[in-house]
Amino acid sequence: MTDAAISRHQARAWLSTAALSRLVCGLVLLLSWEIAVRAFAPAYVAKPSGVLAAIPRVIVDPAFLQATGITLAAVAEGLAIALAAGIPLGLAMGRSLIVDRSLRHYVNGFYAVPMIVVLPLVSLWFGYSGAARLATIVFAAVFSIIINVADGARSVPKDYLEVASSFRSRRLRAMVDIVLPSATPYLLAGLRLAAGRALIGAVVAEFFTAIGGLGYFILYNSRTYKHDEAFVGVLLLAAFGVGFELFVATSTRRFLPWYRRDEHAN
Amino acid sequence: MRTQAVQAALNRHAPFVLSLLAGAALWEIAGRNASPAFLVPLSETLVRLWELTASGQLGAQALDSATLFVTGLALAVAVGMPLGLLLARVRALRVGIEPYVMILYATPMVALIPFILALMGFGFGPKVLVVFLFAVFPVLYNTIEGARSIKPELIEVARAYRSSESALWREVMLPYTLPYTMTGVRQAIGRGLVGMVAAEFFLSSTGLGQLIMTASQNFDTGGVFAIILIIGLLGVALMRLGLFIEQRFARWRN
Repeated sequence: MTDAAISRHQARAWLSTAALSRLVCGLVLLLSWEIAVRAFAPAYVAKPSGVLAAIPRVIVDPAFLQATGITLAAVAEGLAIALAAGIPLGLAMGRSLIVDRSLRHYVNGFYAVPMIVVLPLVSLWFGYSGAARLATIVFAAVFSIIINVADGARSVPKDYLEVASSFRSRRLRAMVDIVLPSATPYLLAGLRLAAGRALIGAVVAEFFTAIGGLGYFILYNSRTYKHDEAFVGVLLLAAFGVGFELFVATSTRRFLPWYRRDEHAN
Repeated sequence: MRTQAVQAALNRHAPFVLSLLAGAALWEIAGRNASPAFLVPLSETLVRLWELTASGQLGAQALDSATLFVTGLALAVAVGMPLGLLLARVRALRVGIEPYVMILYATPMVALIPFILALMGFGFGPKVLVVFLFAVFPVLYNTIEGARSIKPELIEVARAYRSSESALWREVMLPYTLPYTMTGVRQAIGRGLVGMVAAEFFLSSTGLGQLIMTASQNFDTGGVFAIILIIGLLGVALMRLGLFIEQRFARWRN
């Protein structure tokens, strides 16, 4: 065998042991969950076999599909608003000392506020409606976008901007052509955080205001002791959370291969 | 010289102070012109805050919240860190469990609250569990991430020189993973705070969460703003603390 063939063989062997140990660990986790519920918990409590049996029922249930659609649409809309507001603000903060110093404490402060405390306030302002949920999502998402875009705009290499200004490029032009592209990896890191927070925001808003959506689907089904059905909703939320992580990670690697994700992102 | 220093300090801090004043003025003016059901001026919020403090309500409820938060967070660190370190050392186990930790890290834990309510009811225990679930996965996830960053060569060299297990931990495992763990602790502080309020909202109503709920049910907008202000300041202070902890340990990372 050649060296390449040997290392390929080793890689494959390693991969299969990794896959195997993942499978074994997964099975052990599921099995201990199943046994624990069967031994100690009432019959209505969600267990792997029950959830598995509920999946085909739930995913064709129009109520479930509609709830999922509503929540996802609200998250997408909220993220779009947060991006539209957050990118210009972040760029301005990253490139202008005055803007940065006057806004930084507010942005950092609002970012540190646990988003869930605004629920009583937004439900006071917008009523128990979709608008309250949208406001919660935007509040949850916008500050991590602003902070990350500002970080990105600040880290643009000086040389680039000097070249641009010596070629008499206008400031706005340089902003769009130089600052924004080099802040993109940061923007993606911010978006990754924002999406996770937006999802949480949507769910808590639905818990709080009892308006229709995936969060309310979970709440309603668990209250009526259909925990297996409710748990399918949790699985879907987890899938969205993981899916977005993976999407951002792969698109950063694919489109911005020179960039290594920095560790300090929250 | 002196005037220069003063000038520099003024340049640094003036925008911050001005923006703070401008924000306060904006709040005051907007509050005076808005319907009191929607927005109350800063001055009224502060008066309400003083009333809540003077009556002892705020202090008692804040203590209640703090107990919940600290218990949950302490449990999360006490479980997440040793478990993460164990996984760091036992490679086969780490490879197997890693993907599940990643999934749980990305899952919005709020979605589990209805189940916890149905199973465990309204006591202190279920609320601690909520804070714990919010906080434990960042600690675990980051500790594992740190374990992955240890170059296998380092462990091989340590082995080749017949270093004992305890020396290996002291010299290689801990210095490489602890900084990552502390990043996890910082994230856990932020998430734990969300968990604390979520538990107080959706399980039995206690602590600062209860104060907000009562205020909003009584249409006491000033009270709502006052408590949000307090929780916000708490959030900022805790985030500072988290950054401080993280940076203290980051010194020996790279």
